[in-house]
Amino acid sequence: MAKAIPKKGSRGRIGSRKSTRKIPKGVIHIQASFNNTIVTVTDVRGRVVSWSSAGTCGFRGTRRGTPFAAQTAAGNAIRAVVDQGMQRAEVMIKGPGLGRDAALRAIRRSGILLTFVRDVTPMPHNGCRPPKKRRV
Amino acid sequence: MASSVLANFLSIFTPLKAPPQPSKAPPSNISLSTESSSKHKDAFAPMVASSNSSSSSSCSGDLMSVVCPSLAYANTLYFRSAYNVQVIVEDNEPEEKLLGRFRREVMKAGVIQECKRRRYFENKQEEKKRKHREAAKRNRRRRTPFRNPNDEKLEGVSKKREDDDDNWDMPSDSPLN
Repeated sequence: MAKAIPKKGSRGRIGSRKSTRKIPKGVIHIQASFNNTIVTVTDVRGRVVSWSSAGTCGFRGTRRGTPFAAQTAAGNAIRAVVDQGMQRAEVMIKGPGLGRDAALRAIRRSGILLTFVRDVTPMPHNGCRPPKKRRV
Repeated sequence: MASSVLANFLSIFTPLKAPPQPSKAPPSNISLSTESSSKHKDAFAPMVASSNSSSSSSCSGDLMSVVCPSLAYANTLYFRSAYNVQVIVEDNEPEEKLLGRFRREVMKAGVIQECKRRRYFENKQEEKKRKHREAAKRNRRRRTPFRNPNDEKLEGVSKKREDDDDNWDMPSDSPLN
């Protein structure tokens, strides 16, 4: 999973030299589950730049799954990245959940140019057996 | 970096896929998809709602069909991820329109329904029940296409049906009358 690419100019240097990379184009991943929404901003290759979730925005418990929480999470994540100079982005949405539309709306409103909006919910071709039914 | 990855993939796969595709059908499929990808500026036509295995068109379709026609199908290699639904955003598209489009595509692909179904295990009974319900819904929708409730045509149709049910009279265009 970790891409072991030797960095050219950092032999013997501790830590990354440029902690704030200037990336004009990135990918925004939104994982919207029923209980929470996590928004991660990465570059085109998938290396994470910043992330935020409804939980880190201060909501706890049932309020994490609400669309408003997703909206604030997306706003938080985008704000941290717009300062780094990101103009265009792709959006990848994963999972069912109320945070899907709300986060997309927040991203759109923040002024970032969107190229694609994709749904990448993982679908098994009848693979693992899911857990048993809840008897509530 | 992406181009080097692409070159690696090309070098791996070109000898394997050297025998050319004999049928004419696949290239025409690709030409259709590349055509639709080039018409990005049109409003709703190039809706690229793809199936699970991400066999939809993309902006790389032109490149791939030029470089190596047999690799033009391998969109997964270029995108590095399989997606269920893709919506290409045009410039200055109003927010609500984009959201509506995305939601419609997702509903058409049935992503959320599928997720909810796979959350918990369903035994054979449940599966049969669900399939029965789905089939009933589909048949009902096909049997009675959506009609305007306040349309007078509806009454006309029902009247005609009543007339047909009454079989005691000979039809007016019968030779015996």
